[in-house]
Amino acid sequence: MEPISADFEKELSLLREKLEEAEDVRRAIARGEVDAFVVGPGGSGRVLLLANAYQRYRQLVERMQQGALTATANGQILFANQRFSDMLGVPLAQLYTAPLESYVGVSDRARLSAFLMVSARESRVEVELSRRDGSSIPVRMSLASFADGYASLLVTDMRPLQWPSLAVDALDSIRTSLEKLNHDLGASDVARDSLRNISEEINGLARMIDEMIDVEGSERKR
Amino acid sequence: MIPANGTVGEKWNLRLYTAGQSPKSLAALDNLKRVCEQHLPGRYSIEVVDLLKNPRLAKDDQIVAIPTLVRKLPEPLRRIVGDLSDTERTLVGLQLRQIK
Repeated sequence: MEPISADFEKELSLLREKLEEAEDVRRAIARGEVDAFVVGPGGSGRVLLLANAYQRYRQLVERMQQGALTATANGQILFANQRFSDMLGVPLAQLYTAPLESYVGVSDRARLSAFLMVSARESRVEVELSRRDGSSIPVRMSLASFADGYASLLVTDMRPLQWPSLAVDALDSIRTSLEKLNHDLGASDVARDSLRNISEEINGLARMIDEMIDVEGSERKR
Repeated sequence: MIPANGTVGEKWNLRLYTAGQSPKSLAALDNLKRVCEQHLPGRYSIEVVDLLKNPRLAKDDQIVAIPTLVRKLPEPLRRIVGDLSDTERTLVGLQLRQIK
């Protein structure tokens, strides 16, 4: 019998490794340990979740203006949305597995721990979040759900509203620029129509902001 | 505990590929953290890569199913697919324990 060449042995080892990996994937699927797959060739891969509805929920969480996070009963962060990361001024990647209490004022930590314990199911708690820049912001943490031992919390910034006035200032500035442009363009009907449409859109946006201020203000008074 | 193929004090670099906060992704991170605290206290780092945000990153480590854990360091690279609920298998997969 001829001796096995080094190349053949190397190839055999590689094939064994690939077979083991394939077997590991098969085993994990069979045991229900995975809930998403990457499909598509090379760099154009997409992630398919086993439950379609979850994808829509996820998009909602990512885009909402409230902070959202999921934590274990002992306060370890397992998931946070971008808004929560922005509130703290801490990159999202640093939040995974970090203790939530490390981002809360020292005097609030005991209350937060009690809130997170299953036995003390308060529906909400108000604490001071400690930002990376040393400042702090008052927030309300509300229990959105508790499943599989994990608490999902919504985090609402309780500071007096600031962004609406900034947005209104920005819109006023745009309006002034448009009026100047309107004057400079002279008598072109097409340009005037376009400008009128833009002005109407800006006015619509201003009305939306006013309504949001009213709604949010009344919710905070509750 | 001394890892089967590692040395005491060696830094472990782990990367967990997740799909946002899907139930299996959350469970995998929770299980991984527990295993690391028990077997590699103070000498591990976990990088979470959310493939719902950046699906292209799946290519780097040839990820096909989520969650998947990749041991980047110590070498050689190792992959474990699933939510890591089988601690024994996770330890063997990470080479923190010899196959019985």
